[in-house]
Amino acid sequence: MLIERLMIGDPAAKEQLYDRYAGALYNIVLQLVPVKERANEVIVKVFLWSFQHIGTFRTSGHHTLFAWLLRKTREFAIKEALPETALAGTELMKQEDGILQQFYLMLPADQQQVFRLSYFKGLSITTIARLLALPEGQINEILKEAIKSFRQFLKKTWN
Amino acid sequence: MELKFYIESGIIESFVLGLASEEEVEELQHMRRLYPELDTEVEYVERRLERAAFDEPAMPPVEIRERVLQKIRWEEGHAYSDPSSNYTFINIQPKDGSHITVHRWWKIFFIIFFIMSKVFLFLAIFYYLKYRMSQEQQRSDNLHQMIRQEQTQSHLL
Repeated sequence: MLIERLMIGDPAAKEQLYDRYAGALYNIVLQLVPVKERANEVIVKVFLWSFQHIGTFRTSGHHTLFAWLLRKTREFAIKEALPETALAGTELMKQEDGILQQFYLMLPADQQQVFRLSYFKGLSITTIARLLALPEGQINEILKEAIKSFRQFLKKTWN
Repeated sequence: MELKFYIESGIIESFVLGLASEEEVEELQHMRRLYPELDTEVEYVERRLERAAFDEPAMPPVEIRERVLQKIRWEEGHAYSDPSSNYTFINIQPKDGSHITVHRWWKIFFIIFFIMSKVFLFLAIFYYLKYRMSQEQQRSDNLHQMIRQEQTQSHLL
């Protein structure tokens, strides 16, 4: 098992981890960070982080290494993208054919806006509410609807 | 039934995407311990998302792979050399920029060069003196000849 080999610090396992997940994660990073050089940085950071913190996987609540890496990838990507793009309007995301992008484009306008600010921009409900001048409760509801649709989208296409 | 409703609310997706709030995550972890089927559902969602993400992977540039692997190699070298080595490597080379290190062959080269330069210097002086001697010889010969010629001329007169 890859995870056991990673735990004991096997260098070949680390290489394998990269080869297995870098492509899928890069696709996701490109949707979050529109600048290629920065997206590259995110990938480097995520993998170096994963090698050092592999011990936290078991207690992270994730079942798959992919989901564990994905959480951190998004965290790093949002930090990397924040300076320029956080509050800018509707700038295009580079990877138009990513799964989250596909899903996002199917949403009704109000959900699209909230999902974009929440998932792609990493803003909190409070910040989104302030930004859109709407009550937090309402933002919460819109986001919940969007995520419900995401569940259906995943189940329908990738079950 | 209530559990089904909880799952259908998308809480797991919210957690996996990193959108759930701290309280929501805590609640989910608590519920997972109580209901194993919820825990199984987390796994299903993660696998679904993984399949989806793998559908169109975009490989990062090769340099990025190299950078990551270099780091692994570096750490590996570090890990192996530190605990296992029973000697300490102390670099006593002065690294101040005013010293250089060269190959040992240069020493032999310089000794030969030194000897050869002495030999050539000796030969140069030797041949110079020889040349001067032969020049002087020639000049005195010429002088004798001239004197002799003058003598014969005066005899004739």
